[in-house]
Amino acid sequence: MSKKKFSVNGNLKDSLNTVKFLTERKQFINSAAAVLPKRTDDFGVNKVAKSLHPKEQKLIISRIEEHSNIAKSYYFKSEAAPLAYFKAGQYLTFRLEIGNSVVTRSYSIASSPASALNGEYQITVKRINDGFVSDYILDNWSVGDKVTAYAPEGNMTYNPLRDAKNIVAIAGGSGITPFLSLARAIDQGNEDCSLTLLYGCRTSDEILFKAELDSLSEKNEKINVIYVLSHSDEEGYEKGFVGADIIRKYAPEGNYSIFVCGPGGMYKFLEAELPKLEKERKYIRFEVFSSGKKTQEDAKEYSITVINRGNESVIKASSNETVLCAFERAGIEVPARCHTGECGFCRSKLVSGKVYIPEGEDRRRIADMQFNFIHPCCCYPESDLVIRIN
Amino acid sequence: MVKNYDAIVIGAGNGGLVAAARLAKEGKKTLLVERHNLPGGFATSFVRGRFEFEASLHELCGIGSITGKSPLLKIFQEVGAADKIEWVALDEAYRLITLDEKENCDYLMPLGKEAFINKLEEYDPGSSAVVTKIFDLIESIEKTLDFVSNIEDFKPSMIKEIFSEHTEFLKVANYSVDEVLKSVGASKKTRDILNGYWCYLGQPTDELNVIHYFTMLHSYIIDGAVIPKGRSHQISTALLEAFTENGGEAWFNTSVKKINIENGKATGVTLEDGTKINAKAVICNASPYNAYTKLIDENAIPEKLKKEVRAKTLGAKGFAVFLGLNRSADELGLNNHTYFIYPTNDNRKCYEMSKKLETNDVQATVCLNRAFDDCSPEGTSILYMTSIFAGDEWSKISVEDYHKTKFAFAEKMIDNFEKATGIAIRDYIEEIEISTPMTYARYTDAPAGTIYGYEATKEDGIVKRIVFDMIDKGIPGLYFAGGYTTRHMGYSPSYTTGDMAAKNALLSIKKEAK
Repeated sequence: MSKKKFSVNGNLKDSLNTVKFLTERKQFINSAAAVLPKRTDDFGVNKVAKSLHPKEQKLIISRIEEHSNIAKSYYFKSEAAPLAYFKAGQYLTFRLEIGNSVVTRSYSIASSPASALNGEYQITVKRINDGFVSDYILDNWSVGDKVTAYAPEGNMTYNPLRDAKNIVAIAGGSGITPFLSLARAIDQGNEDCSLTLLYGCRTSDEILFKAELDSLSEKNEKINVIYVLSHSDEEGYEKGFVGADIIRKYAPEGNYSIFVCGPGGMYKFLEAELPKLEKERKYIRFEVFSSGKKTQEDAKEYSITVINRGNESVIKASSNETVLCAFERAGIEVPARCHTGECGFCRSKLVSGKVYIPEGEDRRRIADMQFNFIHPCCCYPESDLVIRIN
Repeated sequence: MVKNYDAIVIGAGNGGLVAAARLAKEGKKTLLVERHNLPGGFATSFVRGRFEFEASLHELCGIGSITGKSPLLKIFQEVGAADKIEWVALDEAYRLITLDEKENCDYLMPLGKEAFINKLEEYDPGSSAVVTKIFDLIESIEKTLDFVSNIEDFKPSMIKEIFSEHTEFLKVANYSVDEVLKSVGASKKTRDILNGYWCYLGQPTDELNVIHYFTMLHSYIIDGAVIPKGRSHQISTALLEAFTENGGEAWFNTSVKKINIENGKATGVTLEDGTKINAKAVICNASPYNAYTKLIDENAIPEKLKKEVRAKTLGAKGFAVFLGLNRSADELGLNNHTYFIYPTNDNRKCYEMSKKLETNDVQATVCLNRAFDDCSPEGTSILYMTSIFAGDEWSKISVEDYHKTKFAFAEKMIDNFEKATGIAIRDYIEEIEISTPMTYARYTDAPAGTIYGYEATKEDGIVKRIVFDMIDKGIPGLYFAGGYTTRHMGYSPSYTTGDMAAKNALLSIKKEAK
């Protein structure tokens, strides 16, 4: 340190200046009113955050629409607070109590974001083989029933900074709903992209929302809908499965992004087809799906010790079902949303034991792998387990 | 239901995690409650596609990769978390670019005292004598702060020692960065370059306390900075693991409804589900703003504290864009780790401009691959851009306009980055996530989406906070930890105040036992 000592305005003035801060500080506090400031919840930012991401939404079924015995659309109004706004392509997770089970299931929102602001959501549920929750909904939900949903979630949304301005959407079966929402949003001027919708069904009888899709396609030049039938040859429809040839035939000029939502079989087919288009990975986006089950000839029974806020309970589990399924059957509630390992809401600590995570379904953080945290929705028990959920 | 603990910690943010880990390590029966499903608060990460994004950390100081001066590492070691974290040392401080072309400002500064002084001499010939003097002062101030921070139980007599032994510190303690740098004869260019870090504190240097800023320069430039390989989520989870290994209990998805105050003393909390937790000490990592406006009965708050909460100004609100790019950093020409991009070198002007969406052009951007290239798959890279807003502009945005506003501001940040660096990134965005003040409000309950605690204004700078905190401790039994407390916001200060809160709580538990 140099001999010459440091000063700003001279030694005496500087020292006095420092002593001054004691009084300055006192003045600063004392001059304020003894009235608490605005509550955190009253800032515009916090209000919008809460209305976009409410803890849960109490909904009332206002209307049910049958789609020729294969599916039903459920329309919801809010019991109290306004419905949470969302981006076309997002889903709602519902919480249901069925027997002793507490389950969550997600359904893409079919209605447009604007209709949420007007107080309505729509989802469409299709009857599928072995669809425990979907079947329950189809057989039990009636107009006037109160149901619980969480805030909209999901990442298969149009992003103007990432995606091409033209979207080629490939839908299979009830996978049409997120794209119906997108088409409606484009038509209402809420999304600034164009949509070429390649909608695959087995036969023309199974096409959902045909009248509305035809009308949107006709009146709005940004929307073009093509139906592709795999099991019947009918005039005015493409025949076969949506693959590289059909995409090439209908894709717009220039660059485009592909969004896919549909059943597992369609994904397998597309996995082989899409590489033929030689598109960069960023232009292909799949809505992630998982059945929560695997078929194995000799399902083994295991036990899971569940630690929840210091309390322990022991439940049964099968090697053919996810850990989350075991929780649901036992009525143990975890904050699950996506059921595909993507959202991370159900993240829990695997204290001991071994689980199997199917290839491509491990979407954990690096440190979660290091410290043995798991997403129970995509883990299958391979031994007895001890898991801390909270 | 009623449960009894030695200590309860509200919130598993950086301050809460260290406090909890320290208390458990000292054998106290400790409960940590967190409203979210993850530990860390802002110190977290998230996965999109094939990328794992760091949510908030740019560089961590206090680990001392150059000088070995590592107060943070010492804390992590003592609580049993250090060996669970893998650090990567950085060698670059920042690249500073302004959008005002007339300023012709593009400087790349290294970490390390000598290297920094030499580089500044290159950019501003003849500056090294003055800059060396500045660094001497920085080191002298650090000695005083070390003395102060080693005081375990403050006695008024210690003020005397400060006055006789720490004169350099005392002479500058109530001046701003600009006042001191000008008085020492630093040129405008030298000041522009030295002030590059201002956005990490969010306060213009004509007002920012010099001790505050110089401490920061010491911990980054002299001591060195690091980044954890597993993102800040690795630190958060390591601290949580250390805590539970030492017998601590952590409850997630659990909200506190009330901090219970009886006869003027904090006695525990009541949870949202009605469970009552009694504790000898309540450590609050929720902001004092939330504690006083939400968690404590208004009539239990002394008038003096109401005034204090009223008098303070909420700090900067956060906005960030996270990009997973489908080209490597080399291919794109992303050669630097930290880019500070400002509209101008006049940071007072930058601050004023940051109050409005239309005029805010401040960004601090990190290319994580320059810390360690395997942070993303081969042929890809990760870039994240952070901006700060003074004021409360985002509270004017309606739900309907939210997405549009978010995308527009993110686009402006990307454009500014491309303009400042000449690097095209827009066409290579494979994954993108954007966080707004609403996002921070959602995950941490931050008032107005604040990420910088209280503003370090002239009246509320850290020196004043530290001194007054020694004299006046607020509600007995209640200890605050985190970014709104004495050390201002940031990773290192939050960990430090977490440790201080735990130590104060331990001291008082011990006293009461006697």
